[in-house]
Amino acid sequence: MNAPGLLRTTWILLRKDLLLEWRTRARLNALIFFALATLLLFSFALGPDTTLLARHGGGYLWLALLFASVLSLGESFRVEQENLCLDGLRLSPTDPQAIFLSKALGNALLLVFLGLTLLPVMIAIYGIELKMGLAPLLGILTLGCTALSAPGVVYSAIANHARAKDVLLPLLLFPLVIPALLAAVKATTLVLQGDPMAQLGSWVGLLSAFNLIYWGLGLVLFPRVIED
Amino acid sequence: MNGLMLLAQVADAAERVGSGRIQGGWEFVWASYAIAYLSMALYALSLWWRRPGRAGRSEEKPS
Amino acid sequence: MDDKWRNLRLGLGALGLILVVVGAWMGLFWAPADREMGDVYRIIYTHVPAMWMTLIGGFINFVACVAYLIRASWKADSLAEASAEVGLMFGVYGLVLGMLWGKPTWGVYWDWDPRLTSMAVLLVAYMGYMTLRRFIEDPEKRAVWSAVVGIIAFMDIPIVWFSVRWWRSLHQEQSTPQTVHPDMTLALRVNAFALLFVFLAFLWSRYRIAMANRKEELALPEALGEPTAAAG
Repeated sequence: MNAPGLLRTTWILLRKDLLLEWRTRARLNALIFFALATLLLFSFALGPDTTLLARHGGGYLWLALLFASVLSLGESFRVEQENLCLDGLRLSPTDPQAIFLSKALGNALLLVFLGLTLLPVMIAIYGIELKMGLAPLLGILTLGCTALSAPGVVYSAIANHARAKDVLLPLLLFPLVIPALLAAVKATTLVLQGDPMAQLGSWVGLLSAFNLIYWGLGLVLFPRVIED
Repeated sequence: MNGLMLLAQVADAAERVGSGRIQGGWEFVWASYAIAYLSMALYALSLWWRRPGRAGRSEEKPS
Repeated sequence: MDDKWRNLRLGLGALGLILVVVGAWMGLFWAPADREMGDVYRIIYTHVPAMWMTLIGGFINFVACVAYLIRASWKADSLAEASAEVGLMFGVYGLVLGMLWGKPTWGVYWDWDPRLTSMAVLLVAYMGYMTLRRFIEDPEKRAVWSAVVGIIAFMDIPIVWFSVRWWRSLHQEQSTPQTVHPDMTLALRVNAFALLFVFLAFLWSRYRIAMANRKEELALPEALGEPTAAAG
């Protein structure tokens, strides 16, 4: 299992997943509408107070993404299970680390795409403004989505085979990603509202450390999860 | 070590509140000791209930 | 498994019980009232050791999970199950005591204190671990998957702690430590050792239950086979 082989397999699997996603656009659309509805519901829960909504916009964005990620993660292994595709992949034989990388990257890409779709809507209905420009926000969005999807893929592969998997995935994932969520929300809020005390760096550092730990753990542990 | 620091912080936190010491509060102390020992007793009971070799144990769901 | 260690186990429990009684007396009456906090601070003697036991339980769980993934054995799996449940028990009541402590000192039951908040997150994570174990019937799959979840959950503890501390410490300064009365230290130590013995007795008993459950699940009355997924 040399490195180029791993990367190449990952790329092939990722392309397969993205193609599948593109051919069944209905699922992607459903996901977008779900996230939009979540955003809208937050504003109803808080009442029509624009200053309050603008101040907490970062938190709502990440909660919407987190809820959507549970749906997309659950789907990503249900698809493989339908015709025993995962077993086929494993027997072919595909490097399980490549399966992990492709699934995690695919989910992260999906979430980043979702975040980018939500952003203009948030600007419109919450009245937020980008104090620090789009580029840092994009960076935080990417880091946060990869942080959600790496442990998410491991847990979704586990929960997919257990009873009551719809309850189990959020039950396992939500407490785990609290630090990532905290860091992503804080960093997003700082980017949206300005960072007078230069705290952005420490939150981005925390988010990066979370990514590093859980992508590493995923690479080591995921092969054990799907072994037979 | 952690607990010693907590003890020290208690003294410090109280200092910032004011010079007078907190009076009473025994109801919280009694409640906390009661909860602690009751929890342990109940858990010991549950372990006893689930002990290996007890008649009719296997009918329960293994966890 | 004949029960040749029964007396030792009961002895551990009895020693724990005696120390718990002594510790309670020391905490409630023997230790002096705090200079500023009065008597309310006495909650610490039950709250802090319980939290320590939760951390020890989490650590044992982590070691057992790693051990299982390196070399599959029902002993490691059972120890992981036992340590998670016993640690969870201490953590849940310890957290309630933390809230009881917060009311007279901070004025509210919950103040998003970094220690309590991290502990709450940790407890929810281990509740997820126990739920997962209950939702998988196949013992071998349960052992592997819960070992993965146990490792991932334990690695989260330091990250949660740092994130919550930063989240909070941007508002309030960390206070400087002061000297404490030596009697307070001794009382805390006695209570900590009391709980350690109780913890060990609980852990051991729970471990035997877990082993007995594995035996029943595998329907192998005497010879307990090792998991076949041993090739790591």
